Amino acid sequence: MPINPGREIRLLRLLFTLLLLCFLPILPPLMAGCSGEQGQGPAGASAPVLQQTALQLNWVPEPEFGGYYAARETGAFAAEGLEVDIRPGGAQSPVEQMVAAGQVEFGITSADSLLMARDRGVDLVAIYAGYQSFPEGIMVHASRGLKSLAEVFKGGTLAVIPGTPFLKLLDREYGLGRMKVVPHDNNIAPFLQDPLMAQQCFVSSEPIVARHAGANPQVFMLSDIGFNPYTGVVFTRRQTLEAHPERVRTLVRAVRRGWQAYLADPEPANRLMHTLNPTMAATTFAEASLIQAPLIRGGLADDQLGTMTLERWRNLAELLQGLGIIQGIDPDQAFVNP
Amino acid sequence: MKGFRDAVWLPPLLSFLGLTLALEVWLWFADIPSYLLPRPAEVFTALYTEGADLTRAILRTSLAASTGLLVSVIIGVAAAIGLSINDWLRRAFYPYAVFFQTVPIIAIAPLLVIWLGYGLKTIIAVSFIVSVFPIIANTLSGLLSTDPALRDLFRLHRAGTLTTLVKLRIPAALPQFLTGLRIASGLAVIGAIVGEFVADDYRGGGGIGTVVMVAIKELNTPKVFAAVFMAALLGLVFFALVNLLGRLTRRHWHIAETRE
Repeated sequence: MPINPGREIRLLRLLFTLLLLCFLPILPPLMAGCSGEQGQGPAGASAPVLQQTALQLNWVPEPEFGGYYAARETGAFAAEGLEVDIRPGGAQSPVEQMVAAGQVEFGITSADSLLMARDRGVDLVAIYAGYQSFPEGIMVHASRGLKSLAEVFKGGTLAVIPGTPFLKLLDREYGLGRMKVVPHDNNIAPFLQDPLMAQQCFVSSEPIVARHAGANPQVFMLSDIGFNPYTGVVFTRRQTLEAHPERVRTLVRAVRRGWQAYLADPEPANRLMHTLNPTMAATTFAEASLIQAPLIRGGLADDQLGTMTLERWRNLAELLQGLGIIQGIDPDQAFVNP
Repeated sequence: MKGFRDAVWLPPLLSFLGLTLALEVWLWFADIPSYLLPRPAEVFTALYTEGADLTRAILRTSLAASTGLLVSVIIGVAAAIGLSINDWLRRAFYPYAVFFQTVPIIAIAPLLVIWLGYGLKTIIAVSFIVSVFPIIANTLSGLLSTDPALRDLFRLHRAGTLTTLVKLRIPAALPQFLTGLRIASGLAVIGAIVGEFVADDYRGGGGIGTVVMVAIKELNTPKVFAAVFMAALLGLVFFALVNLLGRLTRRHWHIAETRE
């Protein structure tokens, strides 16, 4: 027999429950953590106050981020009144979510990921394109003597990160039916030991490492089959763009100057990044910056670096929509050239 | 009315409904966007709209997980019996069993891919590695903690080592073995999912681990949670099966005792 609680106890219980319910809505702002205004630096300093902000990378420090480290090293950020905390990331860094939640003001991603996030209702805006040309490709062993990307799909194993948009394009163009498709986890050991292995790669990264490990890799660029999103794209959320347009403009100006400096002489930034990421050999840094230079320039003049066109964004959006990866398209909302 | 109140399914059902509702209301009022933490309603919608894909994936994963668990039972019980027979053997080899508990599976999973190749074999191996230790440890402790009085009784009747093992120690270790199996069943599911992260041949869509990876990449957070829900459901089914097994074996045991 349960004891029938007295009237007072019941009232207390009800009050307690109500109190609990009142506190629940307070939790989300706590969860969002260090969001909010990062712009106000400590006041009262006599030195010029730098606006503090942060840039979240989607990978460890490698030449693909050379321009940002160069912007810091050459004082381009400081000259624009900015102090930028460049935060290294990893394979699982949820950069889009972090920027959307306001945990960090600026992030780096690729145009296809940005459109996917926008399609999920996340209002992110690209402001600078690090790479004009998509730097990824499919790496195979040259010993197979393959003449074209189509021949890759005659058999063997293909390692691609699950959910990578271009996999659907490859399936549509060539059919994946005759091969094993397995996860790529940024480890080239399986490639090195299996002559019939093909894997996605950053043209300025894995092929160099594979060659140093004694392999003879050959790369088919994905931009050659029309998959050519801007990559290494600096983006922010619309709120930041509207609330602090000047900060966005100055950041882009400084980033452009950083990339100009890096293209002219990658050595100082490479040295800095090597100390942050010692697993990549110094010689690999040098080689990579050489290979990526034309993809970053894309034939643009120095003062046009990083600018984007509506046509490119629209082409990409239509391609992703055709593959069923996104539903709606609004390419004109996805970027600005501040 | 009494029967309704005593129904075993009622408490979990009520707690589930209550928690889901509270979460729904909280997320609604707190205005948390779906890509950070989806509302239960969105997760259930994803469960419905993506039902076919999720079911296909979870069946694939359950094949790997149940095979991994089965291998764990066979090897784990055999190892426990072996270790229980001889003190010297136990001291020499038990530390290796502990190794299985502490092995950082994420670190060696890529190596397993190189040793065993991509596909089901590696996924089963990962599932086995993470689920075998609780079976060895619990079964062994069961085999070693037989009631001394009963052991004396067996000695009195001059029962041999084998007879004592089969007729006394193994049946007596059953409850502990089942405890180990219960822990292992959950770990086997986790192991299969981790295995899929590195070794799944996902051309046809892959297992639930791959579905999670794809949904994360596509920022489809409701589907991520729907997939996690399916994985939890699989763990629950395993758990229920182990409990059923426990009830069946104990009933058998009980009848055997009454017949005596």
